[in-house]
Amino acid sequence: MSVRLSDIRRCFQGVIPSMIATADGRGVPNIIYVSQVYHVDDRHVALSCQFFTKTRRNLDENPVACAEVMDPVTLQAYRLRLKFLRSERSGPLFDTMSLRIEAIASHTGMAGVFRLIAADVFEVSCAEAVSGFLTEAPANTPDGASLDGMRTEMRGLQWVSERINRAAGLESLLCGVLEALEEYFNFSHTAILLHDEANRRLTTIASRGYGESGVGAEVGMGEGLIGTVARERRLLRLTSLEADLRYGRAIRREAEDGRRAIQAEIPLPGLPDAQSVLVIPLTIGDRLVGVIAAEDRDPMRFSEWHEAYLDVLANQIALGIDRMIERCDENADAAVHEAHAHPSSISALVAGPGDDRRVRRLTYYRSDDAIFVDDEYLIRNIPARILWKVLAESTRTGRTEFSNRELRVDTSLGLPPVKDNLESRLILLRQRLQEKCPDLQIVSTGRGRFALRSCAAVEMTER
Amino acid sequence: MDPTRLRRCLEPGLSILVGTADAAGTPSCCRGIAIQSLDEFETVTVFLPVATSHETIHNVATTKQLAVVATHPRDNFATQFKGITIDARLAREDESIFVRQRLDAHANMLERIGVPRRLTHRVAHWPAFALTMRVEQVFDQTPGPKAGSRIR
Repeated sequence: MSVRLSDIRRCFQGVIPSMIATADGRGVPNIIYVSQVYHVDDRHVALSCQFFTKTRRNLDENPVACAEVMDPVTLQAYRLRLKFLRSERSGPLFDTMSLRIEAIASHTGMAGVFRLIAADVFEVSCAEAVSGFLTEAPANTPDGASLDGMRTEMRGLQWVSERINRAAGLESLLCGVLEALEEYFNFSHTAILLHDEANRRLTTIASRGYGESGVGAEVGMGEGLIGTVARERRLLRLTSLEADLRYGRAIRREAEDGRRAIQAEIPLPGLPDAQSVLVIPLTIGDRLVGVIAAEDRDPMRFSEWHEAYLDVLANQIALGIDRMIERCDENADAAVHEAHAHPSSISALVAGPGDDRRVRRLTYYRSDDAIFVDDEYLIRNIPARILWKVLAESTRTGRTEFSNRELRVDTSLGLPPVKDNLESRLILLRQRLQEKCPDLQIVSTGRGRFALRSCAAVEMTER
Repeated sequence: MDPTRLRRCLEPGLSILVGTADAAGTPSCCRGIAIQSLDEFETVTVFLPVATSHETIHNVATTKQLAVVATHPRDNFATQFKGITIDARLAREDESIFVRQRLDAHANMLERIGVPRRLTHRVAHWPAFALTMRVEQVFDQTPGPKAGSRIR
């Protein structure tokens, strides 16, 4: 029974590996698993060419093939009769297929070793269900967006837009976006990472659905799934992460036998048993603002519909974040003169005689540019320098209110002159304090202003 | 040739792929259920569901050429055997237990990587054809830089 390729899209998600048979010029067959069969349109598919040199040679001699793909929900198999058309080594199709492979390669420490050589494009002359493959007919399990689903997601878009427009600050905007993703899309494990142009890294600024928030965790450009999406500025949807990782690890094992130098594997952030991942770049033009990452234990959690829809949503979120950062900057200037006028409204940071408050020991390690609280890592880089500055100032003068502006003019902090992401660095600092040292708080007191609050005495050491 | 490496190709739980081509060189593929070798891989017998292997049987009847890949789903360790079909027959009743056991083992293996056992058990497996080939070439087919290299 013939089928349309668009009706069997689930088969192309890579959950169950596909196979391809070719034959050389003398008719000797060859059969292999293929890591990715990409649905191009109703008459074409593309196969990833990575290592299968025999298959490539066969196609040059005899440009026909037979592939079998399988629906991961029903396990029904489909055979595709293929005619090889061309190999693409660049262009949109190559880039799309390459992104997935590069991300897995980077995630398994195989960047550069395990890569897409070409996207081999085939015309599909016939696609049919393998008759008799299953002993009972598969249940009808609709794929993609139902009308109800679309309505829900349209409401989701409306809700996210409202949240972005109404957000009082960057922090509430980020929380609102993650809440909306859970409420309207059932994405229960999500994180937002913002891009720091100064050090070309992404820092987790908000998350939802994890035991440990992971706020402050960093990813370098090109590192792992998230870093690869950030570098390429293209959305990545993996629906069979475990299978892809097994494939990547098999290659890694084989390559290690060949004594190649391999990088350490980057641990997967978030769920240790994630089966599907959706990573969306937040961009304005070519400029990267950050990344939204969602993951799930269900290998079929994210569909093509989510991919297309969230790509649109991501643009709006990126604009919202960028506008919020700009707005914080504008208001900071207005606040500059007021900051010094506010006297201390909290108890002194340094313990005095008879003071029975808890003492928190904060140590700044200059060589690592990091602060530890009671020997536990707290924060590093610019947020660490900000905290050290305000603690020192408060200890010295008793002042507890500060402005963004005075941080910006302090060159010792090392903030970039433009797009300094100061607001997001303060959010990061605030959240790390909440998690690791709740006795000490950075509290927003208006746009461009914040206060240092402490219910413990602080002992500062610099090394 | 490491005999231990080859023996892994007979372990329970494997995925079995079978490739053939017709007289015009048009390739075809189907999934096997079980693989067996009783003579240290001089010959290999692969069991294919009758329901899905008409084309494969037709092809080997005309060309005799056969390619079989055995893969461990958990680590992608894979080996390809190529050779000439020397016997094609219906599997005997006394072989049905072996075929069923291999399907069960495969279902167990797939369940560990997320495919529900109830789905795997819906795959047709009996009656089966038994194709025996004289092994002429063996290739390492594990993904990686050595994929496709001949090992025998």
